[in-house]
Amino acid sequence: MSTLPNWDGLPLPDDMPPEGSCVRIKRPEAGLVVLTLDPPHRTATVLDLPLWRDLALALATVQPSGGDRALVIRGREPLHFAFGADIEAIETLSDPELVRRMTIEVHGILENLENLSRSMCTVAAVGGPVPGGALELSLACRYVIAADSPKTRLGLPETKLGILPGWGGTHRLPKKIGVPAAMEAILTGRLYDTRKAAKLGIVDRVTKPEYLFRIAADLALGRTKARPKKRGLARWLVDKNPLATAIIEDTALKQATAKTRGKYPAVELVVPMIASAARVNAREAATREADAISVLATGSVCKSLVSIFQASEAAKKLSRGPDGERAQRLERAVVVGAGVMGGAIASLMAEKGVSTRLADLSREALDKALVEHEREITKKLKRRRLEGSRARAALDHLDASLGISGVGRTQIAIEAVAETLPIKCAVLRELAEKMPKGAILATNTSSLSVTEIAAEVPDPGRVVGLHFFNPVRQMPLVEIVPGEQTRPEVVRAVAGLALALGKTPVIVKDVAGFLVNRLLGPFLDEALRLFEGGVAPQRLEDLLLDFGMPMGPLRLLDEVGFDIAGHAARSLHEAYGARMRPTEALLPWIDEGRVGRKSGKGFFDWSNPKKPTLAGDVTSLQTSQSLAELSDEEIVSRCVLSLVNEAARCLEEGVVTGPKELDLATVFGMGFAPFHGGVLHYADSVGAATLREQLDALAAASDITTRDGGRVKFQAANLIVELAQENGRFMDYVPASSNSA
Amino acid sequence: MPALCPSTDIVLAAGLRTPFVRAGGVFKREDAGHLGARVAREVLAQNALEPDAFDELICGCVGQPFDQANVGRVIALRAGLDESTPARTVARNCASGIEMVTEAATAIEAGYGETYLCVGVEVMSSYPLVFGRKMTDMFARLAGARSGMAKLKALSAFRPSFLAPRIALLEGLTDPTCGMIMGSTAELLARDFGISRDDADAYALQSHRRAKAAREEGLLSEEILPHLAAEARPGARSVEHDDGIRDDQTLEALAKLRPYFEKPDGIVTVGNACGISDGAVAMVVTTGRRAQELGLEVMAHLRSFAWAGLDPKRMGLGPVFASAQALDAAECKLSDMHCIELNEAFAAQVLACTKAFESDDFAAKHLGRKKALGELDPKRLNIHGGAIAQGHPVGATGGRLLLTAARELQRSDGELALATLCIGGGQGGAVVLERGDN
Repeated sequence: MSTLPNWDGLPLPDDMPPEGSCVRIKRPEAGLVVLTLDPPHRTATVLDLPLWRDLALALATVQPSGGDRALVIRGREPLHFAFGADIEAIETLSDPELVRRMTIEVHGILENLENLSRSMCTVAAVGGPVPGGALELSLACRYVIAADSPKTRLGLPETKLGILPGWGGTHRLPKKIGVPAAMEAILTGRLYDTRKAAKLGIVDRVTKPEYLFRIAADLALGRTKARPKKRGLARWLVDKNPLATAIIEDTALKQATAKTRGKYPAVELVVPMIASAARVNAREAATREADAISVLATGSVCKSLVSIFQASEAAKKLSRGPDGERAQRLERAVVVGAGVMGGAIASLMAEKGVSTRLADLSREALDKALVEHEREITKKLKRRRLEGSRARAALDHLDASLGISGVGRTQIAIEAVAETLPIKCAVLRELAEKMPKGAILATNTSSLSVTEIAAEVPDPGRVVGLHFFNPVRQMPLVEIVPGEQTRPEVVRAVAGLALALGKTPVIVKDVAGFLVNRLLGPFLDEALRLFEGGVAPQRLEDLLLDFGMPMGPLRLLDEVGFDIAGHAARSLHEAYGARMRPTEALLPWIDEGRVGRKSGKGFFDWSNPKKPTLAGDVTSLQTSQSLAELSDEEIVSRCVLSLVNEAARCLEEGVVTGPKELDLATVFGMGFAPFHGGVLHYADSVGAATLREQLDALAAASDITTRDGGRVKFQAANLIVELAQENGRFMDYVPASSNSA
Repeated sequence: MPALCPSTDIVLAAGLRTPFVRAGGVFKREDAGHLGARVAREVLAQNALEPDAFDELICGCVGQPFDQANVGRVIALRAGLDESTPARTVARNCASGIEMVTEAATAIEAGYGETYLCVGVEVMSSYPLVFGRKMTDMFARLAGARSGMAKLKALSAFRPSFLAPRIALLEGLTDPTCGMIMGSTAELLARDFGISRDDADAYALQSHRRAKAAREEGLLSEEILPHLAAEARPGARSVEHDDGIRDDQTLEALAKLRPYFEKPDGIVTVGNACGISDGAVAMVVTTGRRAQELGLEVMAHLRSFAWAGLDPKRMGLGPVFASAQALDAAECKLSDMHCIELNEAFAAQVLACTKAFESDDFAAKHLGRKKALGELDPKRLNIHGGAIAQGHPVGATGGRLLLTAARELQRSDGELALATLCIGGGQGGAVVLERGDN
């Protein structure tokens, strides 16, 4: 009955394991077939071609008419099912026709499985991460039984990688849990815990990991029961009702495109597929999924997102030593400075289980930070993002200390005090004296040199820069800045801490502005100059939003605060000279105390903080209208190229370890359009030669040539010139002086 | 009647307490686990103690929260003590905060462990209201009812009177054997010893004035850990001082209060009785040797302690009975005491104790000795005020008395101190301390 797939012409790996070795077939008792996914060539099971091949072979041996009446598909271990599709392979795909064929072949296998499920009881016994393809495989079984563990996470995260669930997810999930829930699951790409997955009906039964295999067999043989969640009437009124699904489709599309601004084609393709799931059969679903995925998986958006995903996965290894050894786990910490930044860092650490003392000289500041911490934790408790016991622990983990006291057993200090060298040094010296020998001293400085700070402290090898971004809880990036003498194990330990806090660390050289602020500086300055020269503020914002920035530059300046941005700009100017000379456009406002959101007014009127509107008098700062006539392209290009040019300099100087890290930092640290894959990915898509031409043209533009530092700013970076000549790519560039740590 | 003069050098090291706060006030959303853990954690942090430094945590608590059985264990875990460190909760009513220390001392003396973290805590704000018997019975029948009809039948027994709650706080303050609420026992002592309303009010005023002076001189700040209450609202501030101290207390104001327990002729008012409070205290009880090893400052050596029983109706005289034995065990006299912390449950009770301490008759009749114990010199008695001003969170008070006495010995370079209190149910407890650096 089952047809074996045709693998001819598909890109099979070199270390192809022998046929049949990836799926073990056992018949432990009469009527029961157990298929165990256990590929010998993988430490983590992924659904690659050899595995699909062997699954197809295994399914072909199952004989519902010959006495097999129950089938269990399981992983190596209860909490190791399969990690979805082979993401590394996605990166290499370039031929849409090939992708289409591969998808159709897999669909064929799943259709066989689904057909078996009609004549016998099939059970997927899952646990641990069950993302994407792994869940789609499970959905072709009659029941999904999941191991109850915090490690178990199920979902279809494909849209996060710019593709869509291409192995039946777009029709099997809506059929199982209904159109509205499936729409949310697929569009958010969220991975659900067992409790939520059972509530939604993705999972039909939950059991303890230790019992998973036994109960799965019992379930398949009918010795125990599952109670699948029934949609009941909703199935007819919603899922199968064209009118209802049309409305859902329309709303979902509107909401999604408002966020994506049309930059993520997968979203627009997947919404109608989910909405009409009930009206298509497996064949039709296979065809349309294969059609869509062949285009998406080979497209640039997917490649960009996968590249960022890979880089962020690689960042998770920063806490490991050269031989894979784990870094020291930091469990007791002190944060000095209970301002917005210090308070938020301390609060996050406490929530993540680090016993934290928050020290400040002001009792008022401490109280404020504690109240804010409790507010944050209570909010999470109410939204069920934290259990009661975890919430209580989070509260217990934060203690206030007036002055620096009680740090005799702390392992790390993070200072977030005023940005002046003498104050920071005094604090670090006091910490060095009171903390145990060798304890890590981290500074959250954004504008001072870590090496200079370290020089003032005994044992400078334990001093490291740990640069969080504001707002701490929302911003996913942390820059780790080793000074000249910082010990590698210190870098690894703080990388481990950043990861434990749910952040993505990137190691950055100790240069002014580090990476993110150094890149943001020229970008924001250029936007300001365009505004000053007469470009309508709304137009400027819209153009950069359309380019893919998460927030317009003027809005961003409002959020950051003009005083802080100005301070950062001045220190960049000091360090890098003329090319970073900041415009003084905002001085009049700063003088009158109008510094952005925190003062209630900047470019925007913040009287309704949820919906800021452009301030009525915003054009009063425009000194001329000379740039009002610039084309859309030129406006975007001026901003983006100032960013790209500086990024090229950073890459060449080895400010980060490599191009992937730089891209990761731009996406996570400044929200640079993820679908472009980061600044350098974007630069490669334009091409070095073109960049050079554009930069030369800008450097020659009359207003830029005449302004102080304008020409140097747009003078193409050496690396761009070099790559333009060799026709090279930024992503292939290896910095000569790559960071030691 | 047991007394102990340990042969081991047992010391009180490193102690702290939260401010004592009037119940139903700033700490009303606290729970004992949270408050106790906070002060325990701070003792650990400030002294750089390892989480596995202790043999056991002993918690003194009278009204354990119903959702935190063995609240001592809850505190140990929430304070970050090692999981392998056991914890228990002990109670001796108002003296639970001394009980935890004498328990630790007894254990050390017996060779059962050497290092104890003692945490006394009471959140009287969270004492529950309890459904009465009839309501409880109805719930039981309802839970047992299978059919809808049976449920309806069970519900039909309901009467509005079932809703009247039993107030755990009030019933806890009533002695079930003699049926007297604590205030009435103080009234009885006032009649026995001829204490007048004016004397009681004058004593109460002095307690407030002394506490205020101590606060202003910063003497209390040494032992108090400022604490921001759970569920504080934005703009709220940490509490840094006991909030029961009335800076503007006057005799006139006290005189206006009506007797609370025995109207109209009684003398005990809310003004000359201790308050109902929330608070916690933590201290390390260990040996001198171990304290040195851990780098702990020795606040005081424990010279002796004693527990005594007496007529429950006159429980307020407990300190006289217990002190006599503790002093005997330590082989010293009342006059040797540099300072005395005698818990101020009621002004009338403290004054009655003073008279009993001084009375040869009382000594002969009740203590089996010819001469009185001696004079309770007002200049040495509760010199920084007491529970009337500061409040009386029952589980924590005993620890507070020891802490204050030990600190005072260090501050004024005294030799010996006595900490003693009366206990509902007719008991007394007393501890003799010796200055730390001896």
